[in-house]
Amino acid sequence: MTEAAQTKTHAIDISSLGRVSEALNLENEKISLEIKDLKLSYGEKEALHGINLRIPQKRVTSFIGPSGCGKSTLLRCFNRMNDLVDGCNINGQVLLDDQNIYDRKVDVAELRRRVGMVFQKPNPFPKSIYENVAYGLRIQGINKKRVLDETVEWALRSAALWDEVKDRLDESALGMSGGQQQRLVIARTVAVKPEVLLLDEPASALDPLSTLKIEELIHELKNDYTIVIVTHNMQQAARVSDYTAFMYMGDMVEFGSTNELFTNPSKKQTEDYITGRYG
Amino acid sequence: MSDQTVIKAPELDFNTPQLLRYRKVRSLKDKAAEISIGMGGISVILAICLIFFYLLYEVMPMFKPAHMSQVAEYSIPGSDQLENGASSKTVYLAMEEQAEKAIRVTSAGQVVFFNVKDGSLVSEQALPLPEGVRVSSFAESAIGNHLVIAGLSDGTAIIFKHRYKMTFPNDVRVITPIIEFPYGDEPIELDTNGGAINKIVLRDSESALFVIGLNSNNALFSTYLSKEEDFLSGDVVLEASDVAMPNLNDDVVDMQLGPDLRWLYISTAHGKLDVYDLSDHEKPLLNSRVDLTDGQYQITSLELLLGGISVLASDSSGSVSQWFMVRDENNEYTLQKIRSFSHSQSPITSVASEHRRKGFIVGDEDGHISIFNATAQRMLVDEKVVEGEVNHLIIAPRANFLMFENDAGQLVLWAVDNEHPEVSWAALWDKVWYEGYEEADYIWQSSAANNDFEPKYSLMPLAFGTLKAAFYAMLIAAPLAICGALYTAYFMAPALRRKVKPTIELMEALPTVILGFLAGLFFAPFMEVHLPGIFSWLLITPLSIVLFGFVWANLPASIRHKIPEGWDPLLLLPWITVVSWFCFEMSPVIEQFFFDGDMRGWLTNDLGINFDQRNALVVGAAMGFAVIPTIFSITEDAIFSVPKHLSYGSLALGATPWQTAIRVVLPTASPGIFSALMIGMGRAVGETMIVLMATGNTPIMDVNIFEGMRTLSANIAVEMPEAEVGSSHYRILFLAAFVLFLFTFVVNTAAEFVRQRLRTKYTVL
Repeated sequence: MTEAAQTKTHAIDISSLGRVSEALNLENEKISLEIKDLKLSYGEKEALHGINLRIPQKRVTSFIGPSGCGKSTLLRCFNRMNDLVDGCNINGQVLLDDQNIYDRKVDVAELRRRVGMVFQKPNPFPKSIYENVAYGLRIQGINKKRVLDETVEWALRSAALWDEVKDRLDESALGMSGGQQQRLVIARTVAVKPEVLLLDEPASALDPLSTLKIEELIHELKNDYTIVIVTHNMQQAARVSDYTAFMYMGDMVEFGSTNELFTNPSKKQTEDYITGRYG
Repeated sequence: MSDQTVIKAPELDFNTPQLLRYRKVRSLKDKAAEISIGMGGISVILAICLIFFYLLYEVMPMFKPAHMSQVAEYSIPGSDQLENGASSKTVYLAMEEQAEKAIRVTSAGQVVFFNVKDGSLVSEQALPLPEGVRVSSFAESAIGNHLVIAGLSDGTAIIFKHRYKMTFPNDVRVITPIIEFPYGDEPIELDTNGGAINKIVLRDSESALFVIGLNSNNALFSTYLSKEEDFLSGDVVLEASDVAMPNLNDDVVDMQLGPDLRWLYISTAHGKLDVYDLSDHEKPLLNSRVDLTDGQYQITSLELLLGGISVLASDSSGSVSQWFMVRDENNEYTLQKIRSFSHSQSPITSVASEHRRKGFIVGDEDGHISIFNATAQRMLVDEKVVEGEVNHLIIAPRANFLMFENDAGQLVLWAVDNEHPEVSWAALWDKVWYEGYEEADYIWQSSAANNDFEPKYSLMPLAFGTLKAAFYAMLIAAPLAICGALYTAYFMAPALRRKVKPTIELMEALPTVILGFLAGLFFAPFMEVHLPGIFSWLLITPLSIVLFGFVWANLPASIRHKIPEGWDPLLLLPWITVVSWFCFEMSPVIEQFFFDGDMRGWLTNDLGINFDQRNALVVGAAMGFAVIPTIFSITEDAIFSVPKHLSYGSLALGATPWQTAIRVVLPTASPGIFSALMIGMGRAVGETMIVLMATGNTPIMDVNIFEGMRTLSANIAVEMPEAEVGSSHYRILFLAAFVLFLFTFVVNTAAEFVRQRLRTKYTVL
């Protein structure tokens, strides 16, 4: 399916996208997440070798790179999902609003509310559509029907799903199509009003049409959220992101505005990758 | 890619004969596997069906209706035409064990033995009666007993015994009837004035021979011969003593004497039944007087049921009522009506009790015969057998034949097929008022030392005991197993989990007989001694675990990080050991301080709770231990197989691990947890060895956790070896097995149904 999406969108030239016309400059951006010398190892094996990165606020930043380069691992560091992996050891700092999220005083659950995450495979809970979206609020102790109703509708509208599901909110979320499920998961994440949205290959398991919808949604959501997206699909990165980071073998090779990185990469490795020499 | 050198594709022919053969073999193997797996599945279903039908096959005969059919009819054997022109009539009729020979005693004192099948005469002899004296009354010493007494018209009585000697010349059974006089052939003097004895009763107990006769003026006479064993010769010496008899004012219809020589039942005209207490030989006491029929009907006869405890009073309205002496709280006996049996509308002419069971047959003026069972309160057969009256109705000792005289002076023989009269829905599942009990109750007591005992086949105490044992086992096992499984699957370090899970599953391999043995012989006595320790342990251990967790969580990180995450539960092991040791060490101190050194006594005396050493708590603990691995293992699998991406999704939304476990993981695993509970429940219901050894096997109905119980399965294990094959007891045990089978079948089917529903609800893509 990913193949199909690629071949179908292959014709799109990056320069023709047009929407990155304004000159983006990292120096002018507000910074949402600042990563300082982040090292991560699984047991003996080091997976990230000292990453330094500043992720701008209310922009879409994409991580690209070949399989196993550590882009998903890096993404999971931002909401401490790596804590759940046995034998994972992290050194360095990730600052969210100047607060190191690896500080001992940090409430991990609250951090994860502020930094929401959407996974590669749609993972709706085996509950109704309504309860899926309301889940994030319920675990925060919000149980007022009116508040829930309003938030669910707002979140589903944000995820461009409301019109499709408004008549079957009580039906199981498992009966939806894959693309709908993924948008439901985005709605669920949005419902708890996070500051950062981490998308881990959100469209890789979807068909081209669903992929397109997700990409449009990302474009909508960047007005309100800082979005970090991991993708295998360079065209997708080019289409949706403002900034792109290229990672290779656990190192951050190049980071810059998407336009520049794709049109004028400063590193040979980057150029090789985006021109399809390897990967 | 394009710069790769092109390698020529190898030539592959998939249609060579060898490969074709291989494909054929492959598809054959696939077919064979499919068939054998299908056969396996079908044979499992078949085996279950066979068990089901085998149980049914053993149970069904119990519910087969009784029936009877006429075998023979012949003229009454023996010469009844007397020399003086008068005719004699039957005063006594009885069949011997094989229902091959029968005895008939006539009013002229002739004893006639004849063949039951055709009425042909075997032998005939006369009782040694004085000239002109006739037999005016007759009685057996007990139901089916061959020691009988004939009351004579000159105020005396003669005791004799009819006996049947069995020989096998040329391998053919020959039964030779003989008459003996174990107490001498001299008549016993009753009415010194020589009035005819119209009613007579005889009791031959171990301590005395008691004869009571009644003459036509309603005067009672008695002879009480106490038996004393001569200490030199060992012979029994009879010594006469006087027993004062009550004075009767009304006309007596019938009388009976209980086997304990204490209660004398006398029915008088106008439907009254009097009970006299003869325990004081000087002074008979009228214990009760009841009106049987509200003065509307006549009592036609009094008959004792097997064992002599119950009196059957039959009346002219065609109904029979059962009465016996019931002891109240003050140890006083009163005559109580237990139940009544309605027959047709015709007056009853003849009632005969079965010799081996609490059943009786009734004949009436209209020619009907009905067969009843007292315990089951059930009429098994009601059939019109003859035109006119049924007289001298008797039943063979094995209750397989009955015989009566009809109006035409013919003896009629009927075969009876009535194997399981004591079984009815009410007898199995309702309260029944058994002989000697103060009220109706659920009782299981299938056998006793004596033969005339009333079997009590209520399945209620057993079903109750089964559920009680399963309930307490689940009460202990379910929370422990589910919480343990949740922790192991969801929170524990994977390396530790890989060790813990097989260890707990290994518990299942422990033979239950060892568990039962430990529970019955070690844990039960231990608990009895350390009762306060057990309770403080149940209370303190969970609290101490919470306390330990709290303290641990608040320790400085430097100490906490010495233990890898997920391995911390191991720290609880020494802690629980210390707490348990403390509880049991403190047990005597607590007992001394709070319960005056005897908690058991305190329970019984102050709270009124009975304490059995082998009780539900012991069983709950032991069977809980047996059930935990089952529930744990399936629950753990169910929780562990909840996809990680679901719990990650929840965690990524800001849920704590606990919220994730409760709100996402548990509901998703619920079908598995539910079936784990049901399988555990099925195991607890069917478990045998533990309950056999640790419950005390007392079939009582009491929810008290300190009382024992008897379960259906343990009952089958205990009683099946001693039940006579084909008897009602045997079949009721099969019925118990059938009930158990149905119970587990229904529970498992319902569970599977619910599980499927849950599964469609929570299936994860």
